[in-house]
Amino acid sequence: MPDFLWNSQSPLEKAVIAGRHGAGKGTPGVSLSHVGDIALVQVMARRGRNADVAKAAKKLFGTETPAMLKVANGKSATLIWSGPDQFLAFSQQPRSAPSLEQMEEAFAGTASLSNQSDGRCLIRISGPSANDALAKLTSLDLHDSVFPVGAAATTSIDHTAVNFWREADDAGANPAYAMLVFTSFADTLWHLIVDSSLEYGVEVAAIGAGH
Amino acid sequence: MRIACPFCGARDSGEFTYLGDASPKRPAAPLDGGAAVEEQFYDYVYLRDNVAGFTREYWYHGGGCRSWLIAERSTTTHEFKSVAAAPGAGAAKTAQAGER
Repeated sequence: MPDFLWNSQSPLEKAVIAGRHGAGKGTPGVSLSHVGDIALVQVMARRGRNADVAKAAKKLFGTETPAMLKVANGKSATLIWSGPDQFLAFSQQPRSAPSLEQMEEAFAGTASLSNQSDGRCLIRISGPSANDALAKLTSLDLHDSVFPVGAAATTSIDHTAVNFWREADDAGANPAYAMLVFTSFADTLWHLIVDSSLEYGVEVAAIGAGH
Repeated sequence: MRIACPFCGARDSGEFTYLGDASPKRPAAPLDGGAAVEEQFYDYVYLRDNVAGFTREYWYHGGGCRSWLIAERSTTTHEFKSVAAAPGAGAAKTAQAGER
């Protein structure tokens, strides 16, 4: 009998401590969650093949490729703009998203793919004080008029590259954001976000219990 | 200081890395073209103008969309007059990267 097994585990397995942290009672200012099991593929159009990539994406995901600084919501995946002529295909239901093999077939010769499912870590932050907490971390302007629902950005948070986008408002009509960070930086960034949120009161969801 | 990336919009300068002068053009001559060509290449590789005023320079948006950019910046006031994608940035353009 082996005395250990190879199990995949979230890079935030130890960092995520579910429950209420920081100031106050009542409605938390910030809600934080992390979903471990995701499907994520980086798609980069090859030179001059952008139109073909858009066509293939429409067929495969049911949506055009995302416009600059935008997210495109497809049937089987969310496409997040990540730079000129490139995007991330993200799905929280790895089983129902197109497999890497299906994508390789769809984008054969037109785009280069890189599977990032275990390379990036998804962190979600929302709540009435989410913008205040994020203001300590990012130089992005998150005002509604500049960064509405569906806006996306690639930026640096605490010197770490982050894919950042705004999702539909939460149940309390507060802004909700998602970010993808390199797994090796997820732990430090998670602690940074928690610490920045403590003064507003932060509710941390158990791993996988995200919306 | 903010730099207006043509793809991402205005961003903190900490997201960018300065590479250097974007004005030198690679001489269109074979490398083994003799002393005259060697002189041209010496100029291309080593000699730079020390301009007080606007210069064209390469910047890399490594903390963002990872694009190479060419900016016109004043060395005296740090004012950015323009920031554009370097040739070949993004797959939509069919040109190869680098100056023609």
